[in-house]
Amino acid sequence: MWKTILRRILIMIPQLFLLSVLVFILAKMMPGDPLSGSFQQGQSAAQMAALRQQYGLNNPWYIQYASWVGNMLHGDLGQSFVYKRSVTGLIGERAVNTFWLALMSTVILYVIAIPAGVIAGRYEGSKRDSAISVTSFILMAVPPFVFYLLALIFFGFFLQWFPTGGSVSSTYNPGTLGYVWDRIYHMILPALVAGIITTPSTIQYLRTGVIDNTNQDFVRTARSKGVPDRVIFNKHILRNSLLPIAAFMGNQITSLLGGSVILETVFSYPGMGQLFVSSMTSRDYPVVISLVLLFGFLTLLGNLLSDIIMSIVDPRIRIE
Amino acid sequence: MKKRSVLGMITLATALSITLVACGSKSSNSSSSTANKAVKFPVSYNNTAKAVKGGNVNVAVVDDSPFKGVFNEELYTDQYDYDYMGPASESLFAYNSKFKFNNNGAATLKQDNNAKTITITIKPNVKWSDGQPVVARDLVYAYEIMANKGTKSQRYTESLQNIEGLTEYHDGKADSISGLTMPKGDNGNTMVIHFKQMKPSFNTSGNGYFLENAAPYHYLHDIAFNKLESSDKVRKQPLFFGPYKISKVVAGQSVQYTPNKYYWRGAPKLDKITFENVSSASITSALKNHKYDVVYGMPADSYNEWKNISGYKNLGHQSLAYNYLGFKLGKWDNSKNENVYNPKAKMANKSLRQAMGYALNNDEVAAKFYNGTRTRATTLIPPVFGKDVHANINGYDLNIKKANSLLDKAGYKKGKDGYRTDPNGKKLTIHFATMAGGSTAQPLAQDYIQQWKKIGLRVKLTTGRPIEFNSFYDKIQNDDKNVDVYAAAWSLSSDPSPMDLFSQKAPFNYTRFVSKKNTELLNNIDGQKAMDPAYRAKALIAWQKYANDEAFAIPTLYREEIFPVNKRVKNASVDYASANYLNWAKLAVTSNSTAKN
Repeated sequence: MWKTILRRILIMIPQLFLLSVLVFILAKMMPGDPLSGSFQQGQSAAQMAALRQQYGLNNPWYIQYASWVGNMLHGDLGQSFVYKRSVTGLIGERAVNTFWLALMSTVILYVIAIPAGVIAGRYEGSKRDSAISVTSFILMAVPPFVFYLLALIFFGFFLQWFPTGGSVSSTYNPGTLGYVWDRIYHMILPALVAGIITTPSTIQYLRTGVIDNTNQDFVRTARSKGVPDRVIFNKHILRNSLLPIAAFMGNQITSLLGGSVILETVFSYPGMGQLFVSSMTSRDYPVVISLVLLFGFLTLLGNLLSDIIMSIVDPRIRIE
Repeated sequence: MKKRSVLGMITLATALSITLVACGSKSSNSSSSTANKAVKFPVSYNNTAKAVKGGNVNVAVVDDSPFKGVFNEELYTDQYDYDYMGPASESLFAYNSKFKFNNNGAATLKQDNNAKTITITIKPNVKWSDGQPVVARDLVYAYEIMANKGTKSQRYTESLQNIEGLTEYHDGKADSISGLTMPKGDNGNTMVIHFKQMKPSFNTSGNGYFLENAAPYHYLHDIAFNKLESSDKVRKQPLFFGPYKISKVVAGQSVQYTPNKYYWRGAPKLDKITFENVSSASITSALKNHKYDVVYGMPADSYNEWKNISGYKNLGHQSLAYNYLGFKLGKWDNSKNENVYNPKAKMANKSLRQAMGYALNNDEVAAKFYNGTRTRATTLIPPVFGKDVHANINGYDLNIKKANSLLDKAGYKKGKDGYRTDPNGKKLTIHFATMAGGSTAQPLAQDYIQQWKKIGLRVKLTTGRPIEFNSFYDKIQNDDKNVDVYAAAWSLSSDPSPMDLFSQKAPFNYTRFVSKKNTELLNNIDGQKAMDPAYRAKALIAWQKYANDEAFAIPTLYREEIFPVNKRVKNASVDYASANYLNWAKLAVTSNSTAKN
């Protein structure tokens, strides 16, 4: 298996390379450049040209790309034009916020989805099942950004239970307990809505799994042997139904990261998603490209993770 | 209120927000019954209650992305960063409401036209917030930061190259700037600037020919120029000599300030100030909950939703800005670095341009789309610069009859379909480019197109919809052939000279209009004769009249900048003359919690 994992990781290199070339070309094709929106009184055409030259913005894309790759291999992702600081530092700062938010959403997702899916499956056709299924279908139909905005307006502004933007207020100092709590407090609402909106697929997978397994031969055999219902459910049905959920986990995390673009923009939460949107509009190429690569890498990693989990929980499956 | 020394392109609506607002397009009728609904705001609020000792003030800065955090006057490029520096950074010189320097600031200016010098003298007790005195070396260091190639500062401009030796320093041919001398030594209080040529605007703040700030040499000199921008001494613990000092920065989100006990005018009154980044979607609700004392950048298109929130007074002043309609009349020549006028351009007919101006009902646009927080613009120099330089002309007021007769006379004949052909009898379609942003962009563009239809002009939106900011300017800058007329906006520096925006050599003269007369009139404004303020004022007015007649750029709207201020705040003023935003040095509060009604 180790061999396979290593091979999969090696394959990522050409994949990421291709992605980076594509993104670089697309980014350069966007009209305007980082300097086109900002200039100073008395700046002449010659000075603007000189500045563009100094930043290398006049070179053809492949030369700019080559120099970017060269620097990247030395661990330098370049300077952000807008934030005037190293991309590595900038993304690092934002990635921490996104990471914790994604983690919290994931926990919320499973805390809600697993019991809901199990109940719906086990009591198929009951009122509980209908309630859970209807709710999850509604959630599936609602566009995420509408759901986010409604939650923000209701819980943030109307009830004022949660802060409406930022990742931490300026009152606390890093390292104190108050600071940690304040960060969590800022995360609760976005994490909750992001978690809830992703539950339907997991609930449905689980529900179908439980129903399918209940009708399997091995369950009938166990029943006829007189094994107690609880044991049958926990040992035979639930375990088997959780398999696809476990396998799906890697993808789930990836989709949460991708969804952060909208989530963070709505909640003014300074993470990678929000950075991506703002860098795009300000033509901050180095940041855009680095983020796309990072997202790309995480997606590939998520897929790999899914396969590995799958092979661990289900001995019949071997990744080769 | 301190001026912003930056000239810039601004979006039409200034704020992009995620809000669920439905907006249908509607046509405006030609009556101007809605005119004169412009709202005016006081620059200050007289709070007679007694100030409490200390107290905190919370300021919201409305911006949909985190602030950049370059807290250095020579390096910042983002307007929001400038806002965040407000309570801490003070300009060296003070000036009056019309931006003319006076001697009330931390340093004084003395101009000697014969010697071609300006002598700057720092007042004796002016100190950085770490207790070190502000000295001549600090003044020179600001120029070195700005001009050194390592910092890649955008502040390094052609205007500043009028200082002797600055170019040589920038190009690395000299280790120091020969035109900046310190007669009393590095630690003295005097710096002399030697110019190649004296300029008429030297008496005006924001003229761009010399800097109006100092940089703490003792604090920053050990950081390499190319590392300055990303260093903690600029981003996290910057040093200024204003009334407050920056005590904490939460990157992109908030900044905290505590009093600068060495402040030269005496210790300020508040214990703490907090600036916070707030999104445009949430600011109105936050204000209704009385979360903030002051708001910067309140979105004007939602004015009706927040104009009457209890507990707040709306202060305001006219922005140094205008929206305008530009007509594409030529090309930028890259080899000669200048604008080239094309007499055969589609819009080269003056009557056509004038008619398009007369067809618009900007009084109604200001009243209906902006609830009176904007007013119809009449000339390219806004009234905020003062009566002596703002021409008293009526500009382009709605007059369909006149517009029609102008077109008739110029030979644009109406066909059977109701649309006019060009003077050669060919079908005439005019392409109009406008910027996306806010909820008003689309209906506003439709309104303009319908008005033009009334005079028989077929106008189509370039790309069919409002264009994203960068793409828009990309098309305008590169003289895209699918743009004949465009709607854009300028924010101005506090020197009224239009040289940077409309001269033959100006890359930002996006209309590409060039004429002998225009060049001559512009040169009069910045030439040697204009050293006499009366002559300069006359020259400015002469140019405005010419520009109004030629109509290469028709100003459409002036804007009011509005600051909701909680009623517990005392001594707040947004007069351009009060040092720094909001009169920080004297600001106090009369209660420990925000006023609710």
